[in-house]
Amino acid sequence: MRFVNWIVVYGPNYLSGLAWTAIIALAASVGAVVWGGVLLLIRLSGGLWTNLAVETYVQLFRNTPVLLSIYLIYFGFPLIGVVWPAVICGGLALVLQNGAYISEIFRGSVKTIDLVQFDAAKSLGLSAWGTFRKVVLPQVLVYGLPSLGGQVILLLKDTSLLSAISVAELTMNAKLLTEQTGAAYEAFVVVAVLYLLLVVCLELTARFALRAVRWRPRHDAL
Amino acid sequence: MIRPVVARALVAIVMAVVLHLSAAPVLAQEKSRLETVLQRGKLIVATFSTAPPFCYTDDKGQLVGFDIDVARLLAKALFKDPSKVEFVVVTAEGRWPAIDSGRADMGIATTTIYPDRAVRVAFTRPYVDSGVSVLVKKGLGLKSLADLNQDKYTIANLNNPQMADRAKRFIPKTKTLTFDTPAAQALAVRSGRAQGAQLDSPVADWYAATNKDEFEVIPELMGYSQNNAIFLKHGDFTWWHWLDTAVGEMRSGSYYGEYSDVYLKWFGKNPPPQKFYLR
Repeated sequence: MRFVNWIVVYGPNYLSGLAWTAIIALAASVGAVVWGGVLLLIRLSGGLWTNLAVETYVQLFRNTPVLLSIYLIYFGFPLIGVVWPAVICGGLALVLQNGAYISEIFRGSVKTIDLVQFDAAKSLGLSAWGTFRKVVLPQVLVYGLPSLGGQVILLLKDTSLLSAISVAELTMNAKLLTEQTGAAYEAFVVVAVLYLLLVVCLELTARFALRAVRWRPRHDAL
Repeated sequence: MIRPVVARALVAIVMAVVLHLSAAPVLAQEKSRLETVLQRGKLIVATFSTAPPFCYTDDKGQLVGFDIDVARLLAKALFKDPSKVEFVVVTAEGRWPAIDSGRADMGIATTTIYPDRAVRVAFTRPYVDSGVSVLVKKGLGLKSLADLNQDKYTIANLNNPQMADRAKRFIPKTKTLTFDTPAAQALAVRSGRAQGAQLDSPVADWYAATNKDEFEVIPELMGYSQNNAIFLKHGDFTWWHWLDTAVGEMRSGSYYGEYSDVYLKWFGKNPPPQKFYLR
């Protein structure tokens, strides 16, 4: 069994890549959710021009491949004297793009909130921030959680693109091993299994989170 | 009643897969690839599109280069027609499955022979000598490997571990980056991400020659002379033997004339003499 042999010899090489992928995905997900929240806040509170700016930003990032922004930040920024490490550049690109998607997910969730609730909040004397924190945010999180989980999985898989700019993550591991040994099938099958493992972990976390949030907004109360 | 049947079926499937995986290498290759190629009437070759002057896309979008012309020489030997070649463009790590899966008959892609690789793929004898040079950004005053060996500098490697080992050995203080293609390595130097790039010597020379005010090449080689070879799937003696013979004839026999023309065209100098005792 050549395959088993190969894993025994080269398997341990994957550990550092696995760790990097997990760390990058985690950090970028947190960043993207926060950035998506910020974009939502700007949209909710802003006027015509800020809305237009956010809309342009969202369309720009949703309609271009993330590899493009990765390259632009990594290879382009040094031309204006900004030389960040590859991990930061790649992570930033992921945050910028997924933030755009997540802000749309949040916006969709906000749209499901009945307008009457805003009147009700006003009549209770809640400030704008109070309305956001106590009425909007909880519902947005609950409604958005399933799609949010999906988006985070997409982000995790997109971290593989960072191998193009010299980040030592999982896909880079596979590329290095393939180049060394010529064993392309083995190298990439192992990577596929490891990605699957990471995604399953994420799925389970998302399900757990959904269960933990027992409270559901009720519309029949109206 | 159904469950045991299902379980047995599962066991049968698993065993079939296991048997297939373990038996495949033994059963493979009854008919030689040479026969397939001759019947098909054209040669299918895996190559790169981003490694000038070996195999790259020129201004007109055509795949050109030394490797491309060597492949055409092979087609000429097979079919008396150098145009009977189809090229399959692959990435660095896509080279191996391209020939392993049978998508291409062979590969020629500025590929260095390493014993680690030869475990999984077969190589012919080398069709060209190779060595590794360092392409550096002009104006930094980098004239030797010793100049580059400082921790304020970064070198761009290609994604094979041999490059990392070589950097560790010859310029241990220099930081490293890893990329997929020579083009990305050159871009790294151009954008200031790295100050140098490890490239096959002819590739480095080509970049320096075509971008005179941007790049230069450190005169000393990094490491030792190496061999670039055609690669193919293991286990097909007839096909390997034909390719190896053809390469041997190019370098020192009846195809030396054609080989010299191609060599001169891409490297601007004559190839090593046909035989060391002939002048």
